[in-house]
Amino acid sequence: MIEESRQKFDIRNNLRTELFPHFMCPGCGHGIALRALLWAVHELEISKDQLAIVSGIGCSGRTGAYIDATTIHTTHGRPLAYATGLKLARPDLEVIVITGDGDCLAIGGNHLIHACRRNLNLTCLMLNNETYGMTGGQVSPTTRNERFTTTTPLGNYEPVFDACALASGAGASMVGREITMHVTALKDLIKEGISHQGFTFLEILSDCTEIYGRKNELGESAEMVLSQKAEYRSDSYGNQVEEPFQPRNIGTGVLTKNDRTEYMEACRLHNQSKQSGTANS
Amino acid sequence: MPQLNNETKHLEAIVKSAPLEEIPTNVLVVGVGGQGVIMISKVLAALCQEQGFDVKQSEVHGMAKRGGSVFSHVRFGRQVFSPTIPKGDADILVALEWAEGLRWLPYLKPEKGIFIGDTQRIVPPFACRDRRRFAASGYVQESVDQVIRLVPNSSAMDAVAMARELGVPKAANTILLGALSTTLNFEEAAWKSVIARFVPPKTVDANLQAFDSGRAWIRNFDRQADSAMEAGTALDSGAWPMEQDQTWVEINTAWCKSCDICVKLCPERCLALDDQQLVQLIKPEACTGCRVCERLCPDFAINIHTPAFPELRP
Repeated sequence: MIEESRQKFDIRNNLRTELFPHFMCPGCGHGIALRALLWAVHELEISKDQLAIVSGIGCSGRTGAYIDATTIHTTHGRPLAYATGLKLARPDLEVIVITGDGDCLAIGGNHLIHACRRNLNLTCLMLNNETYGMTGGQVSPTTRNERFTTTTPLGNYEPVFDACALASGAGASMVGREITMHVTALKDLIKEGISHQGFTFLEILSDCTEIYGRKNELGESAEMVLSQKAEYRSDSYGNQVEEPFQPRNIGTGVLTKNDRTEYMEACRLHNQSKQSGTANS
Repeated sequence: MPQLNNETKHLEAIVKSAPLEEIPTNVLVVGVGGQGVIMISKVLAALCQEQGFDVKQSEVHGMAKRGGSVFSHVRFGRQVFSPTIPKGDADILVALEWAEGLRWLPYLKPEKGIFIGDTQRIVPPFACRDRRRFAASGYVQESVDQVIRLVPNSSAMDAVAMARELGVPKAANTILLGALSTTLNFEEAAWKSVIARFVPPKTVDANLQAFDSGRAWIRNFDRQADSAMEAGTALDSGAWPMEQDQTWVEINTAWCKSCDICVKLCPERCLALDDQQLVQLIKPEACTGCRVCERLCPDFAINIHTPAFPELRP
């Protein structure tokens, strides 16, 4: 049994290889995130029948279609709503949501905060590439200031959403963040998120090299992947900019984790108390 | 060398017959940082001074704290002018670390010099630059046996193991000092009084015991059948067969999109894009199987296969 679980991870066993090569641009970080997810699933020994992937619209939404498991490609911004319904109907399934920054924070922002509030046992991976890549590189809620997109030709001036702070504030019981450069750390974070009982929100900092990176002259794929670490420290820490060498758990890794009652558990306890209440009266 | 068969006392004979007063006696002590090279040389220098000799001692210990090379020249005689020993002029070479000892062998007097070496091996990081799995280190590959046979008047002891048996692992240098003392014409009591002054008060007894065991060991040393030598040779065998551990890089060019991530991030620079801008392995022998390319390939075009070593599999 141990030998089985230690079997070498070959990603092709978990992919719909007939669809390959995939549609993503050269150097897109979503592929690395997809590998990390499938690697985590492999190490957790979740069978294909037990795995349900729900994805929205956008580059991130399309990644779900390449996984050889139960996958649902849903409407823009609503994968969390579909996933909530799926999880309530089939609690035995391991439901993982793949969504993007525009999908999750702009169009599906309301669904995100209510999924966090309910704390249903879901895992939400938000692949943050800071732009709407599939529709042509428009500005998204996570586009950094002074970055150029097709809709901000003079640079972006809107404030940037901190997705992790939002999810944490809305009540998600586990919130984490990781960059695609750290594949192994990302895999471990996803493993922890899937194992966690309650809503898990993971922000994965990905790269859009062709549309966003080229417009902003961020270098080629390899440079973008390498610069994640440095850039990430100085910009995404928000108020930590003054002290860029804070311990890593402030910026990446698990940011919030608590054991707030999971939605199904809360529902069961509530029903129990009601039934006992009616029996007594 | 068969003519050296019954030379239990050969070490003593040489120096005692030399005219100590006319020509300076040269003792070179070498090792790496933290082993006690300086302590040995200071004890020797202080003793010689007490005995009325002119002594000059010079040392280099710059990289000592990083495990770097440390050596100390001790010269004594009626009058000593230069503090350093010329190459090929050392009467006695005491090595606390095996590779350091071999490195300084050219300083030993040809045929006449005495070599006392500890078989302890401290492999420096730079000897491990070949990052392929189970690659042989750049450390000296000659066995203790081979060296002992090549160098006349040589002896090799596992002083660290002896010190550990005595319960004081740090006293390995005092054991070598004991071995050194048999080659020089000084009273045992004089040695001991100087050692007692130089070691921490709590460890005086342990160090004197180590000194005695070093003296006893060198007197009973037999060049042909010695346990330390056997232990030394055993260390050299058992290297992993590299040819069984070649990693195999499977590249699926149909999926490759020429993003260049693998080429630029490979630590060994063994990948490149060909004229069709597809990735290819240009230096298969340099690949260490680190899997950076496999894990960072967004298109899943690279798969690394390493042969299974069941007991070492992660």
